[in-house]
Amino acid sequence: MKFFGRILIFALLGSLPFGTLSWAAGMTAPMESSGPRGGFLVAAVAFQDLTELGYPAEQGTRSSPEGIGGSLVRLSQNEDLDTIRIRPAEDWSGEETQKATISDPLEPLNRAFFAFNDKLYFWVLKPVATGYETVVPEPLRVSVDNFFSNIRMPVRAINCLLQGKIQGFGTEIARFVLNSTVGIFGFGDFAKVVFSMEKQEEDFGQTLGKYGLGPGIYINWPFKGPSSLRDSIGDVGDGFLNPLDYIVDDVVYNVAVRGYDRLNIVSLSLGEYEAMKKAALDPYISMRDAYFQYRKNKIKR
Amino acid sequence: MGPARLWYSTVLFLLTLLITVPSQAQGPTEQIKETTDKILAIVSDPSLKSPDKKEEKIRRLRKVVDERFDWREMSRRTLARHWAERTEEEKEEFIRLFGELLERTYRDKVDSYSGEKVVFVGERVDGDYGAVKVKVVGQDQRDIPVLYRVKKKGNDWLVYDISIEGVSLINNYRSQFNNIIVRSSYDKLIKMLRAKVQGGEEKSEE
Repeated sequence: MKFFGRILIFALLGSLPFGTLSWAAGMTAPMESSGPRGGFLVAAVAFQDLTELGYPAEQGTRSSPEGIGGSLVRLSQNEDLDTIRIRPAEDWSGEETQKATISDPLEPLNRAFFAFNDKLYFWVLKPVATGYETVVPEPLRVSVDNFFSNIRMPVRAINCLLQGKIQGFGTEIARFVLNSTVGIFGFGDFAKVVFSMEKQEEDFGQTLGKYGLGPGIYINWPFKGPSSLRDSIGDVGDGFLNPLDYIVDDVVYNVAVRGYDRLNIVSLSLGEYEAMKKAALDPYISMRDAYFQYRKNKIKR
Repeated sequence: MGPARLWYSTVLFLLTLLITVPSQAQGPTEQIKETTDKILAIVSDPSLKSPDKKEEKIRRLRKVVDERFDWREMSRRTLARHWAERTEEEKEEFIRLFGELLERTYRDKVDSYSGEKVVFVGERVDGDYGAVKVKVVGQDQRDIPVLYRVKKKGNDWLVYDISIEGVSLINNYRSQFNNIIVRSSYDKLIKMLRAKVQGGEEKSEE
């Protein structure tokens, strides 16, 4: 098994050229969300009005982009526009506020780990990732992210199945096949670029949530970061589905590979954590709340 | 002026009014689009690209944003159950500080616009409340789903909350503010806000 671990490391190093190839072919695609976007900015952007393709907005109804352009670009996130509450809650009694937050009995410990992770980020992760970012161009780093993400397909596919999302399951399988072949070992997200097949971001924590399990308590792990009791159990479950643990058996190599994956992801989202800290009065609470809302929203989708 | 002329100019005046009154059908999407178009124009304006023009750029952006965002409504929602207890002066001060806090956040982003596009996804309206769904598409095709929550004031649809990937700005600040008020006091919150807004720039991230 050690042998396979070594093979993988050499394969990774040797396959960076493949990453370059898919980059040249223009098949890079978005990275997996590593967490809530820090900093709530009002993005200054151009606005393409797709209503010309669809229905005009009427009182009390919903307009959506139908037609050729619309159906190709249909987001899985579109469903929540139908399910969200339009008229906001006005009741701000204690209970309403309680429902909107996650229970945090371990707060002192969590805050200590938060401070630890903060130092770890600024003293270790950020400097190394910044150096790495300077040397390696972004499309290539996106390709590496695609590669690792592609390997994790079973986690997403099986959790889709467990949640009854048959179409999602099919999409993940199709994505894997396409990206591993035409996308060259998963470095290129061919499926997304050409067929607009989005990654179905599902995990066991969401599956448990879908079946009614609440998040439990907030746990802010050192190194790993924000999580909850349910999501931590979910991560253990997903651990059995992650091919990486079967391919790279040796603990040392396994940690090294995971470390590299993490470094690569950090290099793609440098500045987000700083922006969140800048925008927040209490970054710990901000992160906790953002995590809670983010997961709640993901489970709904 | 003879009576005929007076009559004539009154009719003309009334006709002009009819033409300039905004159409009732201007929904939230159209109004938000107006704002983002204006913001785009400012941010991609080549004459404002130099560093010495930054203040001018921010001033103009603030003006455009003020037209579309209901700061008072946002402040009311972030303080939630603590809003009613505040005096009018406290409310005014809070609204001002909160606005400045948010402005500091997007201040730095103003120079980093790199051709992102906003794609309108859908809209829903329920009486005088509404929600507009968009996605922001970046250069490397990173899609970010954003939801604007709007409330109608007269003929204007004003934004009172933004959710990015399901995380609501108002909820996030409400959690923070509530936590500080409940643990310490409103005074502590205001002090922290003042310090954050004024002290801000020199403070290192570490």
